[in-house]
Amino acid sequence: MEKDDFLQLCRNNATAGNHGLSAAILPAVRQYLLNRPGGKLPVIWLETSDSGDNNIAFMNTTYPYLHQVFTDMIDLLYSNTFMAAQGSDALLLLESAAEGRYGPFTLIVEGAVPLKDGGIYNVIARTGSGPITALEAVKRLGAAAQYVVAAGTCASFGGASAAAPNMTGSVGVSQVLKRQVINVSGCPVNPDWLVGTLAHLLMYGIPELDDLNRPKLFYGFTVHRHCQRRSYFDNKDFAEKLGDIECMFSLGCSGPRTGADCPYRQWINHVSWPVKANTPCIGCTNRDFPDGSAPFFTPLPQKGKTGSAGQPPAGKGEKP
Amino acid sequence: MSKQKILFSPVTRMSGLLTAELAVEHGIVAEADVSGTMFRGFEYIMRDRHITDAVYLTQRICGICSTAHGAVASYLLDSLYDNDIGENAQYLRNIMFGADFLQNHIRHFYFFGLPDFVIMPNEPPFLNQNCFDCRLDDSDNRRLSGHYIEAVKAAEKSHQLLALFGGKAPHQHSFVHGGVAAAPTADKITQALALIRDILDFIRRCLLPDTDLIAKCYGDYYHIGETSGRFLSFGLFRFGGKNEHELWRPGVLNDNRLTRPKVDLIREDIANAWFEQAESPTKEETLPAPRKPGAYTWSKAVLYRGRHYEGGPLARMLINGFYSGGTSTMDRIVARTIETHLIAELVEEWLQKLRPGEPPVSQKKETVRDQAIAVTDAMRGALLHCARIRGQQVEKYDIITPTAWNFSPKDHRGNRGPAETALVGTEILSPELKYVIPGRIIRSFDPCISCATHLVEKRHLPAAHNIHDSNKFPFTSI
Repeated sequence: MEKDDFLQLCRNNATAGNHGLSAAILPAVRQYLLNRPGGKLPVIWLETSDSGDNNIAFMNTTYPYLHQVFTDMIDLLYSNTFMAAQGSDALLLLESAAEGRYGPFTLIVEGAVPLKDGGIYNVIARTGSGPITALEAVKRLGAAAQYVVAAGTCASFGGASAAAPNMTGSVGVSQVLKRQVINVSGCPVNPDWLVGTLAHLLMYGIPELDDLNRPKLFYGFTVHRHCQRRSYFDNKDFAEKLGDIECMFSLGCSGPRTGADCPYRQWINHVSWPVKANTPCIGCTNRDFPDGSAPFFTPLPQKGKTGSAGQPPAGKGEKP
Repeated sequence: MSKQKILFSPVTRMSGLLTAELAVEHGIVAEADVSGTMFRGFEYIMRDRHITDAVYLTQRICGICSTAHGAVASYLLDSLYDNDIGENAQYLRNIMFGADFLQNHIRHFYFFGLPDFVIMPNEPPFLNQNCFDCRLDDSDNRRLSGHYIEAVKAAEKSHQLLALFGGKAPHQHSFVHGGVAAAPTADKITQALALIRDILDFIRRCLLPDTDLIAKCYGDYYHIGETSGRFLSFGLFRFGGKNEHELWRPGVLNDNRLTRPKVDLIREDIANAWFEQAESPTKEETLPAPRKPGAYTWSKAVLYRGRHYEGGPLARMLINGFYSGGTSTMDRIVARTIETHLIAELVEEWLQKLRPGEPPVSQKKETVRDQAIAVTDAMRGALLHCARIRGQQVEKYDIITPTAWNFSPKDHRGNRGPAETALVGTEILSPELKYVIPGRIIRSFDPCISCATHLVEKRHLPAAHNIHDSNKFPFTSI
């Protein structure tokens, strides 16, 4: 598949009839792999400080399904969630993958990185010679990786793990590495965004990124721009309560300052998304989530002004 | 050579980061320290926020059981605002909560548990499986590892069912205080019924027989990983306009004696956890202390009447009389499968009872009280949220998670929690089984350290009424 066709497939904008990342991606990757001597993308997946929601979200991928991602796209060499190996056997695999035995690897991090007290608030494993903190692991593996992908908002920007008062001094992965980190934000990440990014890395290298280092493919437009309820907003027809069918701006919707394609991509085999469930978007892909979206049900102009510990929104964000 | 240490780190195939340190004497585990190695401080994060943010924000505690946190926070808000929950909302809430249970249990059995018992293909992510005690024949190994692939789809369908109504998963949006914001339209109900029938088919065709086969081949695990026989459940699936009825009853099971749990008998104990009491005598709370000598985990011990209690599917099945068995590794696995089947049948039944119509949600605007406790069982055991508010701002928010019960460290008297109890006394038959056997025991609890070690709070819960006094639930008297 040509790169432009692939981009079109991922963008899959509101005018396209098919809403999925689409079954077309898998045959394309298979075709590509036939001609690629290096084979699949070797991946080390580190879980640091998050709720584990990003690995669950990843399990929800459809077309390709999880097992198809494993067999046809990536070699998942280390993952606390999925790997059969355990204990020091798991760490041996990590070691050999980090040394490049399976080829140049991609590091996926889900979770923020605590900095306070030397990073002791997140230890990915203990060894005979002491604990391996998330900070140490991300620094070391991040320096050696071919690509670094931050999956979810905690890894991208700190997210809920860095919410005020941030007792652990948690930050996003890019803040502990002196190199490019591809942020695939979301709380959790939509599996299409992550799998699409991995497919792009495999076949075409680094995708075009926005000013927050996120693939423009998925984050290039605001939720507001493609919202099915945009006409209600334009007509100033606002919801009075959750469950209403009008525009959710009045109930705190962060759609106007949130870059994401939820309105047309939707979630879990593309069946729904928060506004379709008659609730506001809470801006979970944003750099300042969750504090910048709090209180969640307070309209945007008043957010952060009602005694919430959350920071006021950092700016107007993308143009609607 | 008679004394050895096993440092089992990381314990993979679970949610969050866990280490177990075992002291082995003459081939028998003599002592076990289970250690959650991550801390996020979620209870502090909840402070000074608008109380209605709790439903969405507390879901971010846990990715694999997010709906449990959303549910209990909704019950808590229903109490603070004195909402009335309509019948359609009750069914919808339980359908969504049930779907998240199915997701959790199917993924636990196949993604986390299966490689403990079944030889998987020797390719990523199954390299170095080192299952030295895998007893299935080749064709069964192939068949069950094929079911892993079917489980991928069955679990995805469970979350699809949840997202049909909830907007997304994890961290659904529509199960909020006052009801459910999504409309149970006829098309969604039809779609959901098709999904639950596919899931039920998977459970009957794969999960039930696969559990049977593993239980037969690994029958010795009915005597490995036994616990104290003390079980606790807060009950599951709330019904009634005030969330006052639990479909599956709550209970405290101790030596075959069943009583009703009272939250004022719950205490947290930080003797071996990385926490210390705040110095200020006016502030009744704990602070993280990562260098505390002798401590070994971010999970505090949770005690009921001064004793450790086990929660989870086995506790619920025993307390409700759906299963009569022991307290072993295999009992926990079998009980989870039984529960999965029961919940899938309930979800199908509830979907048929839904009446297509408008979104069943009605949120009151003014709070009628300034503190409340809400409880439910989550996938892996008893879950409690407790909040004190001023105006509509959170002053304090306390959370006690299921894994804090099951993976409690030793208390100040040195008594072990359920997982540690299950490990101690286990025979490690040969050196190459040093991870295999403890791994099976630990995973049978379905640990989730993302949940267990977020929390910081005061030692004692306030006195409260008996949570089973239906008119008094959730509490107002703290």
